[in-house]
Amino acid sequence: MSAPETGIVGRWTSSPGATDIVTGRARYCPDIQLPGMLTGKLLYSPHPRARIRDINVSEAQQMPGVHAVITHADIPGENSYLYASPDQPILAIDEVRFQGDAVAAVAAVDEDTALAALRAIKVDYEVLEGIFDPLEAMQADADQVVTGEENVMLGMTFRSGDVASAMASADVIIENTYRTQWAEHAFLETEGSVARMEEGGGITVWSSCQAPHRDRMQVARALGLPESSVRVITPYIGGAFGGKDEAHVQMHAALLAFTAQRPVKLIRGRRESMLTHVKRHPIMVECTTAADSSGLILAVKARAIGDAGPYTNASHEVMNKFGEFIGGPYKVQNLEVEKIAVRTNNPICGAFRGFGAPQAAFVYECQMDEIARKLGLDPLEIRLRNGVDTGTQLCTGVVVRDGDAMKASLRKAAQVTNWKNRDQMNKRPAPHLRRGWGMATILKGAGMGRGLADHAGVLLEMHRDGSVLLNSAAADMGQGITTVLVQLAAERLGVKVSDVRINRADTDRAPDAGASCASRQAMVSGNAVLLAADDIRKTLLTLAAMKTKVESDRLGLRDGRLLIDGEPTDLTVQLLAERASNWGYPLQAQGRAHLEYPSDAPRVPYRYSSEIFQFCTQVAQVLVDIETGQVSVERLVAVHDAGKMINPGGVYGQIEGGVAQGIGYALSEELVVEKGHTMNPSLENYVIPMALDLPEIEMHVLEFPQDGAGPMGAKGVAEAPIIPTAPAIRNAILDATGKTLHQLPMNAERVLKALQD
Amino acid sequence: MRITVNGRQRDVSSEPVKTLLHVLREDLGLTGTKDGCSSGDCGACTVMLDGRVVNSCMVMVAQADGASVVTVEGIATGGQPAEVLHPLQKAFSQCWSFQCGFCTQGMLVSCYDLLQTNDNPSREDILTAIAGNFCRCTGYQAVVTAVQQAAAEIRTSDAGAQNERA
Repeated sequence: MSAPETGIVGRWTSSPGATDIVTGRARYCPDIQLPGMLTGKLLYSPHPRARIRDINVSEAQQMPGVHAVITHADIPGENSYLYASPDQPILAIDEVRFQGDAVAAVAAVDEDTALAALRAIKVDYEVLEGIFDPLEAMQADADQVVTGEENVMLGMTFRSGDVASAMASADVIIENTYRTQWAEHAFLETEGSVARMEEGGGITVWSSCQAPHRDRMQVARALGLPESSVRVITPYIGGAFGGKDEAHVQMHAALLAFTAQRPVKLIRGRRESMLTHVKRHPIMVECTTAADSSGLILAVKARAIGDAGPYTNASHEVMNKFGEFIGGPYKVQNLEVEKIAVRTNNPICGAFRGFGAPQAAFVYECQMDEIARKLGLDPLEIRLRNGVDTGTQLCTGVVVRDGDAMKASLRKAAQVTNWKNRDQMNKRPAPHLRRGWGMATILKGAGMGRGLADHAGVLLEMHRDGSVLLNSAAADMGQGITTVLVQLAAERLGVKVSDVRINRADTDRAPDAGASCASRQAMVSGNAVLLAADDIRKTLLTLAAMKTKVESDRLGLRDGRLLIDGEPTDLTVQLLAERASNWGYPLQAQGRAHLEYPSDAPRVPYRYSSEIFQFCTQVAQVLVDIETGQVSVERLVAVHDAGKMINPGGVYGQIEGGVAQGIGYALSEELVVEKGHTMNPSLENYVIPMALDLPEIEMHVLEFPQDGAGPMGAKGVAEAPIIPTAPAIRNAILDATGKTLHQLPMNAERVLKALQD
Repeated sequence: MRITVNGRQRDVSSEPVKTLLHVLREDLGLTGTKDGCSSGDCGACTVMLDGRVVNSCMVMVAQADGASVVTVEGIATGGQPAEVLHPLQKAFSQCWSFQCGFCTQGMLVSCYDLLQTNDNPSREDILTAIAGNFCRCTGYQAVVTAVQQAAAEIRTSDAGAQNERA
């Protein structure tokens, strides 16, 4: 049954929570007030590495107004996080391994009392020499960061083709070492959670998170409760970008509420947040790229060492995605990539928008421009010459099903920037200024990847008055999934967007939708909504066929009315819903969807490969002050393929926000870590571009619908926009100054140093 | 202490060293104003204090004694259920000027202040007005669009009102 388009999909649609947000009524975790609620606080290690000889909480426990003081010994269930591997304790046992390890938790009547209780806890530390250099940590005789666990938590090499022979026959070889930095998500709402024990021994946890069902599992494990006794609700969430993919303080809040038998609110402060949650991995990459005289890439060899911090978290996934994408959107036949993740006593690293793809793109797109320069080729030309097409088999083994957007995005970017005539602009507008242009183009998978769980369920119900209730557990952290799901339900059921109400994600109301990560929810939960809506739609049309005596395949629903052969009738959706209700036909449906990988695809040797790709190209125009090293981005053009836009407001929003983060990643953002101590854990000293620092971002969206992806061919768009920005800016600096930078961020100090070399 | 908040006199018995932000959120239940950093760096706690835009996390409540404060909750008129949204609030919703929404309340107050004195702000004017309001989700462009749309709506309705009087 093909649904007639009502024009809801593809139209700018306001978020279902918009009015709550603009009036200040929207409640985020910090805004939740419950009767008798206590304030929770955590005590962290002041040392990156130390043995805990003793923790004395007796004084804190006896303070008036203190209702719970807990350490590892008070955890009734499992004392570990569980993103991937259970190696990070919720509360440290006998050793702290980075500055973000919590040692004790308190709950008290107010914040001042809770802070006083923290000060009263006496921890006897034996400070140990930390391991801060990944290369040292990799030595055979190095101390183990986690006793009993290898420091090299991941060390895998993927080979495709014959790199050595290809290198031997190459005309050009470019070899560089790249370094990227620790980067901070800086979601505006810090991590937080509220927990309340319920009658019957269960617990409700309000969580600022990306994966409510995984939170439920983790809280249940920590408390030793069955998952059926744990309910996780996401209130409004103030941003995440991967940094709330893993649980943070949910288990601590739950343990405190469990101990105190009173509701507890636990919100991290900004400094605490920056010291504790996962960062984007700093990766050191040695990369060699070989090309023939026409600029065709013959081989890529890369060795990447990611500093994971002490615990596993998402390091496997991040380094695996780095390796998957190091070939870029190019027809690279010979590839060898060694992926290494190393434990240290530095900040813990994990998921952050793009999962290793931004670091990989910085490497391959910088290499591309250096090859082009050596051969005297235009950066556009070399990318078009090597770019994938539909049907190209990547060196990972994956066949690109819909690759037309790759070159289309390059051509569109070249057209709107008048790329071929760029040198007609003044390259030296003042004696101390140099202007330059750079481009970068990337691919990034959307969805978890082959072999990984990638499914979602939703529950949909139409009431007798034609209004619709949608329950989805896909967390909306601001990216706009709730808007997309409401639009899809309204479109298929022929009602207005305002007729559909969606609840915030709640594990008691909605089936598991997986995490809101990997640019997947619009596809997976989107498809689930269509399946559920089609089920209800079928019932409505069956009833309509009985009433009108017209076969149901000639019927449709739009704008609240029944259509016959596409023409509106007097019969309303509301009347059909009322008849269904009166006659006992259920207008309730569950939709379940999972991303499919074509069974006829060839064997894919690269594990967990993506098969749906986001493509995008960005062009940056920069001005470099050669006296100060300051780089300003004058113009930024971004061309992205969305497959099919469901809500253009959300798509443009993701692109604009991703590029803004990309500019910060390129030029200023860097968490400075010295011997395990983060030196700049504040929004003042971690420098993020603000309103006056950003150029106007020019966005162009292409729509190449993709089979097997999301509704109507939609693809995820959330991660791609941050990925090409840094290399595009770097290549523009190269164009302006002739200097090759290989380290992020490209702040004034580093640019000036390059200019002076 | 007595503070006029959104046109209503409120008696405050908090310790004078508490921040205005703390008092608004914890004592007066006005949780629309957000705490993003507690250090004056992010602007999520922006309110108007006697007609000036301030970070309420940087103001001791004693400094606000006798003053008039406008928060995001005071921008719409009429109160529920007959609430009438300010043109800025409508435009922010329509233009996707926010994603997560956590900066929006402070951002709206900064823009509301701008429109008190400038009924046709340029892109530069708007970016300057929100220079202290940090947003991690957007690149501020949709905010510019929304403020200009709201300003146009206000100019049109003002012109309409003048024509009616004429």
